[in-house]
Amino acid sequence: MAPNELEARPKQKVERREETTRPGAYFQPAVDILETRDELVLVADMPGVPSDGVDVDLEGDELSIEGRVRTGDYDGLKPLYCEYGVGSYYRRFTLGEMIDRDGIKAQMKNGVLELRLPKAERARARRITVETA
Amino acid sequence: MALVYLDPFEQLQTELDRMLDAAFGPAGPSRLFPPVNVFDAGEAYVVKAELPGVTPDQIGIEVEDDTLTLRGERPFAEPSREAAYHRRERGSGQFRRVVRIPGRLESNEAKAEYRDGVLTVRLPKAKEARPRRVQIQAA
Repeated sequence: MAPNELEARPKQKVERREETTRPGAYFQPAVDILETRDELVLVADMPGVPSDGVDVDLEGDELSIEGRVRTGDYDGLKPLYCEYGVGSYYRRFTLGEMIDRDGIKAQMKNGVLELRLPKAERARARRITVETA
Repeated sequence: MALVYLDPFEQLQTELDRMLDAAFGPAGPSRLFPPVNVFDAGEAYVVKAELPGVTPDQIGIEVEDDTLTLRGERPFAEPSREAAYHRRERGSGQFRRVVRIPGRLESNEAKAEYRDGVLTVRLPKAKEARPRRVQIQAA
């Protein structure tokens, strides 16, 4: 099967819930979220964000991710033609599963954040497997 | 008139927003992939494209006359069989993008860099098209 043609997904601006002192617009990153028996995996496109520009925050069942771009990359550049806005990224999620906070792993590579959120033992134990005799 | 301080990056964001609105209006931006921004850097044109999740060897770049062509493929990550998707917004597939540069180029001096999911192609302007400082001759 021939791979499909990629289509751009226009960046959507988001309003941050709380006021920030940092200037500028925030965009909503495109994400994939998948679940296995043991973990949730969240993959987010945040082009322009270096690995030290990522913040992941879990408060109760609310997960937020933030990615900050390097603003210095645009020094001395005068825009002539524009198809996408430039700025940081922010998105919030409500998790339906108990997460083992200490086991969370985040990796940032080529502008993509991969977040692994292991389910807490308690959440895993809720699942009852019925075995055939 | 009120004095408003905008840092350089904020000024750039405002300018890009204005251009986005002017170019595409309420219909929103084009869906051509990858989206590109073109800048004037004095001696060169700079084209930036958002290409997260590819590796440099998956991007082909060609410069011919005043045309830049980007092509490649963003791979599809096959999930394991036990995984269930709750959200799926990130696309995958092939792309080919042709960008006309609004000026003459020194095409054999083009340079490209891929960092943190953004491709930056620097296309030096043709020698005769570069800004030149004019010296005033002493009489």
